[in-house]
Amino acid sequence: MTASDTDFTVPPPLPDAPAPPAPQVETDVWQPLPLRARTLATITTLIGTLIPLGIALGVGLIAADRQPLSFGLAGALLLVIPAWTVWIARRRWLRTRWRLDDDGFGVRRGHMWRSDTRVPGNRVQHLDVRRGPLERAFGLATLIVHTAGTRNSALSLSGLDFDEAERLRDTLAARAARDDDHDDA
Amino acid sequence: MTTPEPAAPQALLPQDHERRLHPGSWLFVLLQNLRQFIVPLAVLLFAGGRRDDGYPWWLPMIGVGALVVVSVWQYLTFRYRIDDDRLIVRSGMLERSVRQIPYSRIHNVAIHQTLLHRVMGVAEVRLESAGGTKPEAQMRVLRMPEALALEQLIRDRGRADATVATLDGGPVAAPEGTTLLALSTWEVVKLGLISNRGLIVVAGAVALSFQVMPERAMGRLLVNYGREAFGYASGFATTWMAKGLVLLGVIATALLLIRAFSVLLSLLRFHGFRLQRQGRRLTVERGLLGRSRSSVPRRRIQAWTQHEGVLHRLFARRTLEIDTASARGSDGQGNANAQRGLDALAPIAPPDTCDAIVRDIALLPSWPPVDWQPLHPRAWQRLMLGDLFMTVGLCAALAWFFQWWGALGLLWLPWSIIVARRHAARAGYVVDDAVVAVREGWWARSWRFAELGKLQAVELRQSPLDRRFGMASVWLDTAGANALTTPLRLRFLSLDDAARIHATLAHAIATRPLRW
Repeated sequence: MTASDTDFTVPPPLPDAPAPPAPQVETDVWQPLPLRARTLATITTLIGTLIPLGIALGVGLIAADRQPLSFGLAGALLLVIPAWTVWIARRRWLRTRWRLDDDGFGVRRGHMWRSDTRVPGNRVQHLDVRRGPLERAFGLATLIVHTAGTRNSALSLSGLDFDEAERLRDTLAARAARDDDHDDA
Repeated sequence: MTTPEPAAPQALLPQDHERRLHPGSWLFVLLQNLRQFIVPLAVLLFAGGRRDDGYPWWLPMIGVGALVVVSVWQYLTFRYRIDDDRLIVRSGMLERSVRQIPYSRIHNVAIHQTLLHRVMGVAEVRLESAGGTKPEAQMRVLRMPEALALEQLIRDRGRADATVATLDGGPVAAPEGTTLLALSTWEVVKLGLISNRGLIVVAGAVALSFQVMPERAMGRLLVNYGREAFGYASGFATTWMAKGLVLLGVIATALLLIRAFSVLLSLLRFHGFRLQRQGRRLTVERGLLGRSRSSVPRRRIQAWTQHEGVLHRLFARRTLEIDTASARGSDGQGNANAQRGLDALAPIAPPDTCDAIVRDIALLPSWPPVDWQPLHPRAWQRLMLGDLFMTVGLCAALAWFFQWWGALGLLWLPWSIIVARRHAARAGYVVDDAVVAVREGWWARSWRFAELGKLQAVELRQSPLDRRFGMASVWLDTAGANALTTPLRLRFLSLDDAARIHATLAHAIATRPLRW
């Protein structure tokens, strides 16, 4: 088990005693992430790129002779690199799909390096739904599925719709509990 | 630890009342505490003593006295009780804690004896469950017969969780253990010759001495000795030929010394190695000075690895190792690797014996499988790609210095093609309804496999290079896998095969309950 590096998360409100029948998660289809997730990915990528890039270019300009050419080069870099990273982030958003079926939970991601990870429902140890401040502002959440494995012991999927993430968590947790019932070793 | 197991553990471990550890146990706790504080104490004693103005040399003794008090207090507050289905441990000096450990949750029982323990006839017992970094309970120390009785009790009671439920709390007639592997001294010497443990330790010792010794004394020492030795050597070896011979001799001696050290280490660690099976439980005993004995239920084994290097093949031997999901942290004394209970089921054994052990323990009657599936036909090109880039880069660098002579390095390529082709031809995988197995390597060969029920997650991966070749790989995750060993993965399959295996396994795992 990995030691969870907890960040500031608001614990979800306790459910009322008899939980109303939650709307079911649609199964057996590869589902995309919501559009809001793309916006959030764009913003975080822009911040994550522009700050280090700005610092690097600033230092470079101070060190180099301030000629029009170097200014032009810096400006071009300032335009091209963020555009590239944002393009990658948006493509990653497009390629990330998740799916819930009878076997378990699956996540597909990546364009250049593709992966398709499946965690069977009866292998789920525990589940986290985590939200940072930005994700809260966009109504998104990160779902983390923990297994007893080592390398893939935590499958995390960020950019899920918050309600969807909670439904997914409850569905998976219910399955894990069901499996535990008839296999109490 | 070769003492016969007591016939009735109940006689030694009555259930009705709480028990304490061995009366001498505070001594061992003290020793362990002293080990932690030995550096500060020594600094106090020596660094302080240098000042001659009546420095109170007895000051550190107060610290030692305090440690004695703490140790005795720990001994007095540690109680354990043996219940029907669980062990209850009460401990703590100011913060009291009560810990209940069901027998069925204990993955590994480790009994360890250092030389001092053996002189006093006691042993340290660790009970480990899955995950975490600390053992569930650590009993420092119990009388040896009590420790063995506890181990047997856990073995018998822990079984009740499985399909056979015992009728009453009474002892099940423990089946006599069958010895699966016992290593003779000569085998252990071979193991030392094969293993590189000596090199690691020597390197570690050199690094440590550089750190510990003050003001680069170690470096000066080495340089001085080296210069002296060189002068001595050039006294009688005047020609280049002779110098080369002397150098070769020195290197050979060093290698021999390291091997000898390896043999010594493996004798210390694996002398008297014995692997036994008692019903569903495996027990391994080993050690020359300090003995350790750990036992693990068969079903707690998560994955298997067989390894065969070039030196192994020279002696016609193999290594068989297992992953268990029990706690992998240090044992509280800083030596993380020394007592990692039961990782090597067979540190060294003939291939047939290894396979027989697998058949016997893993319940895979048909091991080794015969129908290994081949990799993608172009897998060898992928295998040598890394080598190709390395060689070409290196040759480019060489050519920079030696002009065209550097191109001679390209002669390495035919060899690397041969290796890659042999590797690809030998590598293979088996996926059936019981097991996933991967076979890799040609020079150094390895087999890695796990039962389907032990798999935790499946991942299909495809890198850009893979896509270019129409390949993909399937990565399988098991519990307790060591970060250093090769992961269980099926590389360089054709995309269709990989996708099919991925889908089959994802479904197959979902139909099998998690048992670990």
